Amino acid sequence: MHIMEGFLPIQWAIFWWLLALPCLVFGIYRLKKVLEADRESLPLLGVTGGFIFILSSLKLPSVTGSCSHPTGTGLSAVCFGPWITTIICAIVLLFQSLFLAHGGFSVLGANLISMGVVGPVVGYLVYRALRYSRINMYFTVFLACFLADIFTYFTTSLELALAYPAEVGGVASSFLLFSGIFALTQVPLAVVEGIVLALVFKYIVHLKPDILLRLKIFPEEKIITARSES
Amino acid sequence: MVFRYKLEFVAGIAVLMFCIIFIYTSSTMTNAEFEGSDTIGSARIAEMTGNAEEEFQPFIWQWTPPSAEVESGLFALQAAIGGIMVGWVFGYWKGQMKRENGE
Repeated sequence: MHIMEGFLPIQWAIFWWLLALPCLVFGIYRLKKVLEADRESLPLLGVTGGFIFILSSLKLPSVTGSCSHPTGTGLSAVCFGPWITTIICAIVLLFQSLFLAHGGFSVLGANLISMGVVGPVVGYLVYRALRYSRINMYFTVFLACFLADIFTYFTTSLELALAYPAEVGGVASSFLLFSGIFALTQVPLAVVEGIVLALVFKYIVHLKPDILLRLKIFPEEKIITARSES
Repeated sequence: MVFRYKLEFVAGIAVLMFCIIFIYTSSTMTNAEFEGSDTIGSARIAEMTGNAEEEFQPFIWQWTPPSAEVESGLFALQAAIGGIMVGWVFGYWKGQMKRENGE
């Protein structure tokens, strides 16, 4: 879950805002480029963005006896890269700060860095590393989504640890403490999220393979093999 | 012949496992209240700094849903917006595919 409004000291809130803003601006630039190149990528953006809307609204119970929500950012990071994902996250986080009192305007920068930047970047890098490898395409998507989710919460923990270092052990011990609260809760949710988004990707492969080929998301042979297998 | 619905099968099992684990933990853990992990995190911050949780005031004024009902309704609205987008696009692609196949 996000950092709540007022729980981040103002200097840290400003620091994360300053980091988040250039990512957002670059995302808008990337989005313009992608849509100019091919208007037919807009529906795909609708699907990946739609799943971020759905999944980040579901508060699910976990083994730790607390609840958290998945992020859904991995699929968008695989299809469009992390920076466009940042924009969708900004919309979702703004909605939640405006209407739900989840997160808030001063902590929006910090929440945007964790959910919209670090998570998707990690997912995207893993996907890039495995894209041309022999590893199964759906497993790659699963891994990207799983890691995007988990790293979002590691980042949240780090942001809080930096702002509230423990008296004994400092930032590191604080980080462990917050990871225990945020990231541990997240593990089962991230596994389910990864599998569900891999399944969604399968349907995209079947319904609209040409858009995946045009955006060069996976090599042609992989998509053809995946389609012939089912 | 290859089994066509391998991934669907795995996803079904995963969701089922998730539910079973939830039913198990919620009935065996006595002190589990299933509150948000952000609520727990915030309580921990209050503990660490020695300030009461109420002292953490928003820096920028924020509208708070007056009750849990209103809040869950707005969450449902968020999910619905996402659902409409996904359903609309899948339908659009399905129609496109049908036309390309000349049906």
